[in-house]
Amino acid sequence: MSSESRYWKSLRGLYDKDSVNEAKADEFMAGVTDDFDLSDLSTMSRKQFLALLTASAAFAAAGCNSYRDRGEIVPYNKEPEEITPGVSNSYASTCSGCGQACGILVKTREGRPIKVDGNPDHPVNLGKICAKGQGNILNLYDPYRLRGPIYGSASGKSGALTWKQADETVIQQLEECTGTSKEIAILTHSIQSPTAAKALNAFRAKYPTTRLYVYDLFNDATRRRAWEVCYGASDLPTIAWERARVVLALESDFLGTEGMTIEQIRKFTDGRDIMKSKEFNRLYAVEGSMSLTGANADYRLRLRPDAQLEFVLALINEIAVVRKKSMTRGALSNQLPPVSLTSFAEKYSLSLEILQHLVADLIEHAGESIVHAGDVPPVEVHVAVNYLNEILGNTRLYDTAARSVLFSSLAPASEIESLVGRMKSGQVGMVVHFGTNPVYHLPKAFGYEQALKSVPVTVSLTESEDETSRSCSYVLPIHHAFESWGDFKVRTGVYSFQQPVIAPLYDTRQKEAVLLTWMSGKGSFKETQYHEYLMNNWEKDVFPKLNRKVDFKTFWYAALHDGVISADEKAGGELTFRPEALANLRPPGLDGFVVSLHQSHYVGDGAFANNGWLQELPHPVSKIVWDNYAAISQKSAHDLGVQNNDKIEIAFPHGTGSFPVFIQPGQADQVISIELGYGRSVAGPIGSGVGTDAQVLLSLSALVGSRILSGARIVKAEGHHELVSTQEHHSLDDTFVKDFHLKREIIREGTLRQYENDPHFLHHEKRESFSIHTEVEYKGVKWAMAIDLNKCIGCNACVAGCNVENNIPAVGKEQVGRGREMQWIRLDRYYSGTADHPTLSHQPMLCQHCDHAPCESVCPVVATTHSPDGLNQMTYNRCVGTKYCSNNCPYKVRRFNFFDWRGHLADGYYEQQPISLMHNPEVTVRSRGVMEKCTFCVQRIMEARQHATEQGRPLKGSDVKTACQEACPATAIVFGDMNDPNSDISRYRAHDLGYSVLEETNALPNVTYLAKLRNIHSEKLA
Amino acid sequence: MSTAALDYTRELPVVEGRPTASELEATIVAPLDQFPSRTWWIAFSVTVSFLTIGAICVGLTIYKGLGLWGVNQPVSWGFDIVNFVFWIGIGHAGTLISAILFLLRQRWRTGIARFAEAMTIFAVMCAGVFPLLHTGRPWLPLYLTPYPNQHSVWINFTSPLIWDVFAVTTYFTVSLVFWYLGLIPDLASLRDRTTSKIKKLIYSIFSLGWRHSNRHWQHYERAYLILAGFATPLVLSVHTIVSFDFAVSVIPGWHTTIFPPYFVAGAVFSGFAMVQNVLIFVRQAFKLKHIITLDHLEKMNKVMIVTGSMVGYAYAMEFFIAWYSGNQFEQFVFLNRALGPYAWAYWIMVACNVVFPQLFWIKKIRRSIPIMFVIGITVNIGMWLERFVIVVTSLSRDFLPSSWGHYVPTMYDAGILLGSFGLFFTLILIFVRVLPVVSIAEAKAAVEGAQPKHH
Amino acid sequence: MNEQHLFSITALFDIPDEIIHAAEEADKAGYTRFDVNTPYPVHGMDRAMRLKPSRLGVFALVFGLLGAFGGVAFMTWVTLVDYPLVIGGKPFWSWPAFVPIAFEVTVILASVLTVITMIVLYLKFPNNAHPLHDTLYMKRVSSDKFGITIQADDPKFDEREVRAFLGKMGGKDIAPIYFDVEELNHRQKLFNPKFFSVLAATAFVVSATTYVVFNKVLYMEPFSWMSTQEKLKAQRPSELFKDGIGMRPPVEGTVARGFLPYAFKGKPDEAGKDLVNPLLPTKEVLERGKSQYLTYCSPCHGNFARGDSRLQGQFPNPPTLHSDKVRNWPDGNIYHVLTEGQNIMPSYTSQISREDRWAIVHYIRVLQRAHNAKESDLK
Repeated sequence: MSSESRYWKSLRGLYDKDSVNEAKADEFMAGVTDDFDLSDLSTMSRKQFLALLTASAAFAAAGCNSYRDRGEIVPYNKEPEEITPGVSNSYASTCSGCGQACGILVKTREGRPIKVDGNPDHPVNLGKICAKGQGNILNLYDPYRLRGPIYGSASGKSGALTWKQADETVIQQLEECTGTSKEIAILTHSIQSPTAAKALNAFRAKYPTTRLYVYDLFNDATRRRAWEVCYGASDLPTIAWERARVVLALESDFLGTEGMTIEQIRKFTDGRDIMKSKEFNRLYAVEGSMSLTGANADYRLRLRPDAQLEFVLALINEIAVVRKKSMTRGALSNQLPPVSLTSFAEKYSLSLEILQHLVADLIEHAGESIVHAGDVPPVEVHVAVNYLNEILGNTRLYDTAARSVLFSSLAPASEIESLVGRMKSGQVGMVVHFGTNPVYHLPKAFGYEQALKSVPVTVSLTESEDETSRSCSYVLPIHHAFESWGDFKVRTGVYSFQQPVIAPLYDTRQKEAVLLTWMSGKGSFKETQYHEYLMNNWEKDVFPKLNRKVDFKTFWYAALHDGVISADEKAGGELTFRPEALANLRPPGLDGFVVSLHQSHYVGDGAFANNGWLQELPHPVSKIVWDNYAAISQKSAHDLGVQNNDKIEIAFPHGTGSFPVFIQPGQADQVISIELGYGRSVAGPIGSGVGTDAQVLLSLSALVGSRILSGARIVKAEGHHELVSTQEHHSLDDTFVKDFHLKREIIREGTLRQYENDPHFLHHEKRESFSIHTEVEYKGVKWAMAIDLNKCIGCNACVAGCNVENNIPAVGKEQVGRGREMQWIRLDRYYSGTADHPTLSHQPMLCQHCDHAPCESVCPVVATTHSPDGLNQMTYNRCVGTKYCSNNCPYKVRRFNFFDWRGHLADGYYEQQPISLMHNPEVTVRSRGVMEKCTFCVQRIMEARQHATEQGRPLKGSDVKTACQEACPATAIVFGDMNDPNSDISRYRAHDLGYSVLEETNALPNVTYLAKLRNIHSEKLA
Repeated sequence: MSTAALDYTRELPVVEGRPTASELEATIVAPLDQFPSRTWWIAFSVTVSFLTIGAICVGLTIYKGLGLWGVNQPVSWGFDIVNFVFWIGIGHAGTLISAILFLLRQRWRTGIARFAEAMTIFAVMCAGVFPLLHTGRPWLPLYLTPYPNQHSVWINFTSPLIWDVFAVTTYFTVSLVFWYLGLIPDLASLRDRTTSKIKKLIYSIFSLGWRHSNRHWQHYERAYLILAGFATPLVLSVHTIVSFDFAVSVIPGWHTTIFPPYFVAGAVFSGFAMVQNVLIFVRQAFKLKHIITLDHLEKMNKVMIVTGSMVGYAYAMEFFIAWYSGNQFEQFVFLNRALGPYAWAYWIMVACNVVFPQLFWIKKIRRSIPIMFVIGITVNIGMWLERFVIVVTSLSRDFLPSSWGHYVPTMYDAGILLGSFGLFFTLILIFVRVLPVVSIAEAKAAVEGAQPKHH
Repeated sequence: MNEQHLFSITALFDIPDEIIHAAEEADKAGYTRFDVNTPYPVHGMDRAMRLKPSRLGVFALVFGLLGAFGGVAFMTWVTLVDYPLVIGGKPFWSWPAFVPIAFEVTVILASVLTVITMIVLYLKFPNNAHPLHDTLYMKRVSSDKFGITIQADDPKFDEREVRAFLGKMGGKDIAPIYFDVEELNHRQKLFNPKFFSVLAATAFVVSATTYVVFNKVLYMEPFSWMSTQEKLKAQRPSELFKDGIGMRPPVEGTVARGFLPYAFKGKPDEAGKDLVNPLLPTKEVLERGKSQYLTYCSPCHGNFARGDSRLQGQFPNPPTLHSDKVRNWPDGNIYHVLTEGQNIMPSYTSQISREDRWAIVHYIRVLQRAHNAKESDLK
């Protein structure tokens, strides 16, 4: 019996002592192997186990503390007065991003530029700066920049060379050319610096066979030519847009890309100030392509660009002949062909009603209206326009005292043609590209690239490798504008100065200095060379003429400090119109498709191609990024049998190219508009191969002439090209989603009349939204923003400014296509009306900093909360990235780092040095997996608060300006303390036109929008 | 299979035939003692390979970032959350069967309870993976637990995601305890019948020394009852809270009060479909037809008709309310579901969840293994799509047309979904090898004549 | 040590009714320390053995309440006391949001703790050393038989009587159960070298892993904590520049906003002549002047500008500022000295901002005035 029961008593019998120990040696089996003996289990083994646990825990704790290196501290060894570590200061300078030469303030931290803003003292741009100017900082830190001189392919050698070698060979060649009287050609863009002009003249004096060829891909040659024809001088006066009550823009994008845009936007939107609605101006746009100007027009008419002349003639006829209204001093010209407005309207199926309004307005506001034609139309149109302005007496709005200044006139196509000829025939001994890229810019028909091959020495002075430098023999790197000295004069009486804000990053030289070295013999170079030359020139030549009271030093430092001086220079006085100019103004015969070539909005003439920030700025109208395209109307697309993203081939006798199609609402039929400046082949990892090169379509004459080209053969081409935009296109005729922005009261608009008759019209039906809980009280400052949709024209300057200020990465075309762009401000664009005659509405959409922020209550980790001053703030390093906040945001203004973007775009291009210098040290560089969004520039708020505390005074709303507000050329953005009843922001929030988007969600946004008033004749919106 | 006519007046025999307790034990334990069959190995290798695919996708996602998925602005949640809700839903059938039916004294649950509970646990494990993965920085899960972490701030008790964390952990723990409690007596029996020392060792540890003593049975039964009592409101609360993830937000199509009941019904619906599908295999493979009887399957199909109809009602009601509310955002969302870019998903969903299950009204179909299997599968597809429709369509077109976007899943999304199924079935396959799929003690107690007559 | 200790006498039965009957009889016979083992709970057994109903329910209730109130209390403390935050504009104490969590905590505590209580308190588990284990008896009852066991420590226990009684009940396989002798005698040494070596090994492994994980692994790709960012903060090195210094000096000859170069380098008298104090001696200005003075000037010139510095004797003594010379100096001169330095006094341009320098000048004037105040000042 017992033996039987023993049979089941098992384990110890089977284990001998050792195996028991083995079993014990295995730590957590310990409890088990001692044979289910309760006493052992409960005492011994548990003791062991606990001991084990505590001991290891202790050791673990010891292991826990982190020994990571926190980096070292490197102070100044001699601290300059103007720099306090951790505090930014700024330098006045001048932007050379385009021809406008705006005054800028470069904000630096410890002697490193990190941000560009407008110089408020500068009379032209009054403290504002465009997107390109903002983004220019990235060009300074672009890893693609040349580190030192290199051999170009044409030299047969490759690799680096020293400046010394370069100077020797070049100077030798220069002397040889002078000896053998071979030509030395210098290709440059328009010279805007008196001192540079002087230097070039000196160079020509030293080497007499030198010839200067000036060209700009984007120019207003036709307008100047017309001015010359009409008034005998090519220096255009500035226009007093702010005094104009009626503006008629003919194929002109004066709000977008053409002319002194910053100044024009400011002056135009002055006439859109809701606080003085009595002086609202009215904008008519007549154009073939949907420009930003057209997008902001009160009335817009679609007209093919080559019919503009006919149109102007029709207007002249209607006003001067039919209605007998003329204010011109001279007798009416009778050489103009009479064109009837009505028949014209029929011919091009334009709304006669609108035309009647236009004529009436022009006559009513004769003398305070502007008719303005763009850069694209031919000289004739401008001549006719000038005459029309004469008739209307609008010449009163010309400020003849402040004229545009030219140190060099553009070389006509013929000149460049002959240059090419001489190059081929070996009469040119040397070509210097003075910061230019002709191989890419010049119409291919010139055959410039091939011609270069037959020039013995070709030098390219450039910041980074480009198409031209590739086929030169010497590639000499030059300073970026922020490393250079200089002076600018683009308008009589206004000199602005350029001073370096950081010592050259690399072994580069200022391009003027290079010439000076070549003049004054090798080895003469020193870094201060041009600086001295500049001061010298001013002290000797300019300063004496200014007859100032102070001594030069004081004057000079003051000038550098302010960045600009104004001198009273009398420019040519009275304008007298020459009737003979009107001879043979005959409208051209029109047939078939016409191609109009426009300026790119953000990449300039290709100079900004390698700038991810600018490439990723959405086109202000189409919202397309990283591309240019052939915009055509729905009907034309149908005729050609193409859809979006299909390609069409445009074949001219002088060149052929194929472009992706984009069906642009509002585009005139049979008009194809394409932007120039894209499709660079040698621009760096970011810029190469972005978009399509449209210069191939430029005819020789188009270089300095009209950019309206007809007679092309247009067919559907093979293949597709995916165009990517930041905003889904919701087809205008899809009734399912049509006009949602109006139905949902996202965009609220009215007419000026409506507003005048009933200022309160927006808030008639009273909405009350209740909250089930008590509201949080905000004592002291509470931040809020107001955006005036009457002023906002959708130029994207705010987005660019925000990008730079807040270290916002570019994500690349493919990722934008997946809907992952990171820009904190989204410039929403909505179409209403019909596809042919759309009405556009712009709306900057950014974090609304709602009092009842829906994002906050759903964040599990309290990564987004409300600050005591009413900000909706993100705590990046608490964020685990559930993205719930983004889902729950009614405005979808939160952005998520799906990748480590800097490491992701172009194989970590923006992780290379010196990009890290560019980032704002006051703003976290977000890692992947973190949510982010507009912070109302909290870093600036904190800086201001710190400053106020130092001075022992309370923080005021006016102490802080957000980056977008600072950037906005139209001053559409108002920011401040809503608890302060006298602040602007309070006034705007209380304004009759103020509304917040999606009121019904009761999120209580702190961003107020001011409803747009359309200045049309009817009281109801169309 | 037996298609004997049924007399609904008397209660069904839980166990068909009259096996003795020891026979019963033998049948149930059989699969544990013999070496796995070839089919098992094949099935196992398949599921494990799925699991591996999933694991690889997960690894890459963690290394490179969420950008590998289809999520974007505005659709920041995609497959991840869809799968999460789906798996949680699957889990619900288990608790329902084991706890609620227990409270309702539904003795027929005996045959399937253990298995259903196991499925619950595995499903919740699958679900639990996603809340972690869907975060941008998955190495910080601890930030979701209540301790003063970064900047010594705690967690946000108003966030439905935190509620989720609590609900899901509670649900998992309680289910696990409930399941283990039921296992103890069986483990004891296994301990006493096995001849392998290792097995005996393990069984001994986990059976805690159970002696089938009646003084223990007394407390044991009480504890079981209490647990069932808690599990019942728990299971309802869990999917209610999951539905709060959406209902508490402001997004049209999410912000609806109907969600809690609607989600719970849906969960039970899909859960039963899944249990039914798997059991069909198990009873076949392990010759348990007389324990997991056709009547069991039929009963489950009946539950599916009910819950399916509830779900259908919810769909209809959503539209009605949208129209009745007069709220244009709400109205558009539902029109957009039926007519917008994701209409295909919506209509497949309706077909699978509302139309097909109605076939179960017909008794022949209800009792036909192949047909019910197919319908079960469609139901699961449908319920997965339901979550897809709710999550994606609502997000892709919300308030501002300017922010609308489109969601296109990537291969990584697909891989991870596949992986979750791999994990689920791998665990099931292991379970059926190492533990009794039917509660031995309960089965014994349910055999005719197992209880004294004159008491 | 080999005589066996009896634990109990056991008997087996085939059908539930018999075991119920046996239990009732055993109870009638006055046995108290007996137990019944059945493969599954047999209905009516509790009544037969006259067991008191289980108290687990009470525990469940207590634990539940603990969870509910504990949960709410905790959340209240966090949101009201420890770290109040404005979230979504809601009140700090948004109790409705607490309901779900409170509920979940209730459930988890109530269920898990109840089970643990049962196992530990009532079942006294884990207990694998019970004499009944590994007996034929146990094997049968855990399969299909119903067993009764009457323990030897029962006051009425008498081996022969019990065997007779069980026989009368119709019990089969009536068998004695003995305690395990070896287990009774078995003792384990507490200090055992093997065990300690294991302890050391584990401890080492554990701490090593934690160290590596927390200080190395967690800072490897892809884990990012934003602790090192692609930007250059003040006073940080940068390998980008030859000197390795991240902070750059301004370019020679440039003029920063608000920092026109000082025009009177080496010309104190012109400075005195041409410079005028741009600040008015307002209270704020004087306050600022004071704080700046005390920070930068007082160490040498003394708190009251008497030239009685804390550094007496360590340097050639700085002059008092109450000398007629300084008092008759125009503000410009003093400013000049602050700017350019004088004798061994260095320039303070990089320490003291221009405004603050002017404020200091004002404050010095105040000190001078106070130092030789006149009757008239009192009026």
